[in-house]
Amino acid sequence: MSVFQAILIGLCYYLANSPWPFGGLGNYAILYRPMVSGFVVGLILGDPVTGTIIGATINLMYIGFISAGGSMPSDMSLAGILGTALAITGGIPTEAALAIAVPLGLLGSIVWVGRLTLDTAFVPLAEKYADEGKPEKVWIVNILLPQLLLFVMTFIPCFLAAYFGGQYIQGAIDALGGNVLRILAVIGGMLPAVGIGMTLLSIFKGEARIFFFLGFLLAAYFGVPILPLSLLSLCITIVYMQLKGKAGGAQNG
Amino acid sequence: MANNAVGNNVSGQKGGVKLTKKDLVVAWLNWMYYFQSCYNYERMQGIGFLHAMSSVIKRLYKNDPEERKNAMKRHLQFFNTENAFGSPVIGLVAAMEEQKANGANLDDDAFTSIKTGLMGPLAGVGDPIWQGVAIPLLIVFFIGLAIEGNVIAPIIYSLIFYVIYYGVGYWLFNLGYNKGSEKILDLMESGAIKKFILGAGIMGNAVIGGLVANYVSLKTTVQIQQAEGKVFVLQTELFDKIMPGLLPLALTLGCYWLLKKGVSSVKVILAIVAVGIIGGLIGIL
Repeated sequence: MSVFQAILIGLCYYLANSPWPFGGLGNYAILYRPMVSGFVVGLILGDPVTGTIIGATINLMYIGFISAGGSMPSDMSLAGILGTALAITGGIPTEAALAIAVPLGLLGSIVWVGRLTLDTAFVPLAEKYADEGKPEKVWIVNILLPQLLLFVMTFIPCFLAAYFGGQYIQGAIDALGGNVLRILAVIGGMLPAVGIGMTLLSIFKGEARIFFFLGFLLAAYFGVPILPLSLLSLCITIVYMQLKGKAGGAQNG
Repeated sequence: MANNAVGNNVSGQKGGVKLTKKDLVVAWLNWMYYFQSCYNYERMQGIGFLHAMSSVIKRLYKNDPEERKNAMKRHLQFFNTENAFGSPVIGLVAAMEEQKANGANLDDDAFTSIKTGLMGPLAGVGDPIWQGVAIPLLIVFFIGLAIEGNVIAPIIYSLIFYVIYYGVGYWLFNLGYNKGSEKILDLMESGAIKKFILGAGIMGNAVIGGLVANYVSLKTTVQIQQAEGKVFVLQTELFDKIMPGLLPLALTLGCYWLLKKGVSSVKVILAIVAVGIIGGLIGIL
């Protein structure tokens, strides 16, 4: 990995956590998601296809991610960006990459806590602008200063980790040998179960539960891939809602 | 009651100032993009809310420095909600400021009670709708393609999300500006949203079930020596014959059960790491 590529990867991590268009701050949706950032990191490293594959695999872990009320269970943006970067430069197999990315995500939540703590220091300045009655200056305390701080907190560690990690990861993987990679792949294969389990916490409820098994059986026995399965389940959902509406209407009438 | 003035025409004659379309759009965009730019433990999105109201305050209290200060102070208070579903609060508070600037009798408490009364219910609908339903569904829809190496999938996913998210936010923002707080709360508790959540939950469950079969992988390498040199391979000769994906299904439901019992996700991850290492070393996985 060249210095320039590492700089771009550091920038990518800043952008994923920034309020700018297509950043992930607040909606945690676009560049924040490993499926998207993996593609971008792949683009930076000259292999967007591998980047997308690795990023999407890492994303399996974070489908059910929920940040509510200012909490941050895990920083999936760092997991996706640094995980994909290290996996591509180190030639790590996709499933093993997931096992490497997840701890990175746990580390990354330090950035979130640090940022919410340090941003508190800007409150007095905002109060000063309010006392002076200067709405035109609020952008300084809401955008300029906290974003400079965030840039320092995100860009520098990610750049360093990508640059130096990228230099040593291959040697480290070679030294560890095939058995370690095999175990990492076993762990990586199982980890999406945690992410899916977290998703189920919010949707595996009431009358909707049976459809989980329906989807599973369709995919397990008949090998229906996800995209056709999605369309099929959309139709099933609509039919179900229509029948439910009729049943409800009959009862009321 | 001050609240009664909200959403009604107030015929006070003070300034006669109106917010322009541009003031409103700027307020909304500042909210959508920078609401959490200075997110902090003391005020959460308080500074972001003040930033969103800046264009409104600038217009309405141009010639009233005292009220400009007061307005800035009352919008620098603690605030925390979900971005797109919080948009109607920006619209509603802008409308209230407009009425106040034109003579309506609205004190600071009226603003505070509206803001704090709405932020909780709106986040309570917004957080689960985006993070629990809409984003997972969209991701799941495209993740299969992306895992096969289709680079268009993440791009289309991003564009679709962007359009829906900002579309919903802008619609709700206008609803907040044009209607009162009761209309917003009615909408959040309406049958349509409940129906949408149920429908999305059904579809989500079906697709997530498919994800388990496709992308959770767990196979055992256990082989049992039988008489006459025959080898019984547990995975292919038993599990795969009963139900392909039996172990991934059991593992996923096991994780769900642990999480539901309140075990933290970090502990579940560590347990899986431990199972993977031990299973890999003794040669059963």
